[in-house]
Amino acid sequence: MPDLRLEQVTFAYPGDVRVFGPPGLTLELKAGATALVGENGAGKTTLTKLLNGLLRPTTGNIVVAGQPVAERTVAQMAALVGYAFQNPDDQLFQRTVYDEVAFGPRAMKRPAERVAVAVKNALERCGLSQEAKTHPHDLGLPDRKWVTIASALAAESPVVVLDEPTLGQDWAAKGRLKALVKSMVDSDRLVLIVTHDLDFVAEACSRTVVLTRGVIRYVGPTISAFADEGMIHEAGLDLPSTTRLGLALGFQPVPVGEGAFLRAIGSKR
Amino acid sequence: MPRGLSIYAEGNSALHRAHPFTKGTLTLVAIAIGFIAPSLAWVIAVAVILLGLLTLADVIRRFVPVALGILLPITLLLLIVQGFANPANRTVFFPLGPLSLYREGLAVALLAAARIFCLISATFLLSFTTRPADLAEAMMQRGLSPRFGYVVQSALQIIPQSLESAARIRDAQRARGLETEGSLLLRARAYLPLLLPLVLSSLVATQERAMALEVRGFGLSVHRYRRVVLPDTGVQRALRWFLVALVPLAIGARFAGWR
Amino acid sequence: MTAALTMRGVRYRYPDTTDYVLDGIDIVVQPGEWLGVVGATNAGKSTFCYAAMGLATEFFHGRLIGEIEVLGTEVRRQTVIERSTRVGMLFQNPFTQVSGARERVDDEVAFGPENHGLEPALVKARVAEALQQVGLSELRDRHPLDLSGGQLQRLALASLLAMHPELLLLDEPTSQLDPGGTKELFEALSRLHAAGVTIVMVEQKLEAVAELCDRVVALAQGRILADGTPARVFNDAAVQQQVGAPIYVRLAESVGLPSPWPTTFETAVRAFNA
Repeated sequence: MPDLRLEQVTFAYPGDVRVFGPPGLTLELKAGATALVGENGAGKTTLTKLLNGLLRPTTGNIVVAGQPVAERTVAQMAALVGYAFQNPDDQLFQRTVYDEVAFGPRAMKRPAERVAVAVKNALERCGLSQEAKTHPHDLGLPDRKWVTIASALAAESPVVVLDEPTLGQDWAAKGRLKALVKSMVDSDRLVLIVTHDLDFVAEACSRTVVLTRGVIRYVGPTISAFADEGMIHEAGLDLPSTTRLGLALGFQPVPVGEGAFLRAIGSKR
Repeated sequence: MPRGLSIYAEGNSALHRAHPFTKGTLTLVAIAIGFIAPSLAWVIAVAVILLGLLTLADVIRRFVPVALGILLPITLLLLIVQGFANPANRTVFFPLGPLSLYREGLAVALLAAARIFCLISATFLLSFTTRPADLAEAMMQRGLSPRFGYVVQSALQIIPQSLESAARIRDAQRARGLETEGSLLLRARAYLPLLLPLVLSSLVATQERAMALEVRGFGLSVHRYRRVVLPDTGVQRALRWFLVALVPLAIGARFAGWR
Repeated sequence: MTAALTMRGVRYRYPDTTDYVLDGIDIVVQPGEWLGVVGATNAGKSTFCYAAMGLATEFFHGRLIGEIEVLGTEVRRQTVIERSTRVGMLFQNPFTQVSGARERVDDEVAFGPENHGLEPALVKARVAEALQQVGLSELRDRHPLDLSGGQLQRLALASLLAMHPELLLLDEPTSQLDPGGTKELFEALSRLHAAGVTIVMVEQKLEAVAELCDRVVALAQGRILADGTPARVFNDAAVQQQVGAPIYVRLAESVGLPSPWPTTFETAVRAFNA
């Protein structure tokens, strides 16, 4: 059973601002790390908001983890789709990082012991254990972003959406994020990453969905997506550094990610 | 994306070209006379003049939804409440079983409604034809502190931005499982998670904005050249004095027995 | 020649804290240089910018030790507003840098020069020139809030340029921008650098720093870990470990190329081809 299924989903904002026109989006994703990329205004955020019911499709069906979204409230969907929005300041309001991360599971009325375990776990994996009692706004923007990622993690949902998680993050933090994504995939979750950072996608996401002007342009392995340089540029993106370098060096197949680059150069020597 | 609270509509009528103070005076005087005028007929005369000016400024079509959306409900409410329940009600106007609409109450309601009509149409006449930035600039040139002028100008644009971030906050908290729909108790509980991030992020933004303004020399005490506002003319100044003089005249007339 | 920026023994801590965020900074930036400031999160990069602009003491208060001279004047002898005629500072978030008081892009750019009391004809010329420098001339009659993030950040840059700054301090100017917006901003900065403007830029994108900057300072725990050309700084083992380096360095090291490792795309292509 796929973790996520969209069937002919069309959507327009009030005032007939059409994002997804007919025949609509059709998409199936299973557990794993999937990048959702495309130019600004392509409909990436709109698509992710349809997954938890924040937006309702004009026509079509959406099924998340076996549950039809149309029959659930947003609050019910929160248990199925953990969501870390782009701007952390849109959600932080508790006095401590701990309470902030616990807010979601508590709102879902989960038993206290389960909440405690989930929060401790999430803080640990996001490198925030030392900051549990810190006021979220005493942290810098990159760390506030980690608080929201921890919050999404603490929901223990089968699907997790991360909106631009690498924005403003340093090199070490990106490494930590890559490890976190991998561990979520290992526990059979679907991680959907909305991003412009293809260097990160090359390292962390095995699959990529390319959205251009409200149409799914590509769904499949990241490697093949990045082999199509024209499509990547059309989507307003830059090829990852490893791929660009591999192309300049004439490597075939085009390497995607550091591992692939090193293998390519190894076999050439 | 909303561009601001301003409902200014581009145009080239005499009113659009008039100095902001002339229009401001016109608005205030029209409201004052509307309330000073003794009878329904006189108030309606003021309202007709305002309608004429709205037509002249070519914004009458934009005024229709305001009239229907704000004025019509107020008028109906006034008519019902006063018509049924004004203590001075004596003469039945329209019998409705045990309750009746009374002539005295309806008259009071109509007068009040006409005055509210003057108040609202005059305010919208000013807003439709005047750029808020021009009004603030004109006030600053007459001695309003630039800091206060800035607050006036920026509030009109920053408030819609806050509304937008309020919508984003709502989305973010609902996605975390916050119930925002349902019973009153539920909604009351959702109040803090929605309000606090707005306050906190506004505070952060305010500090950043203050720094960004300083590095652009905002508040520097040097002689500033005036920004061009719509030209003020002798005719307009004379018109303003004439309009202002109408107010004490009207008050005097009331004391002298204007009915 | 007067240095653009000089810091001698600078230490700074925010109010109500005990740790010094800047803990002994010594640096001289010469006119015309493009200096990149890199470092991990919380290394003190933003504070470095705030200190140089005098915002650290004026806005955040706290305790500042040592000397900071900007264009020959000690920062504590001038207010930020006074310095704004010669120094421009660009912040991370494009949205908080729009004055919010102007309804057109060109009026927004005019805001600074008008505050400085320039005469209208000169303001007009400066605005046109600044918009051209950042490539926004076409959008001069748009409403600022109708611009994209990248365009808005270039508008913020134009607003500074219209005041003819001799020194630009940039605090992670691309951190909130997409690749297109980032490219546009870097192109505008390259043109300014070529025109002789001194730029001090805190930046997380190490590949861009290596490509663009003449010189790099790596910060760690409020101290200078390394200072020199990008090729030298990013080949420093301590920098690689604590700050990171352009991806080419990592690749070359993994492959076992002899050091110094390449830090830019061009040098990487040559090194791997050899």
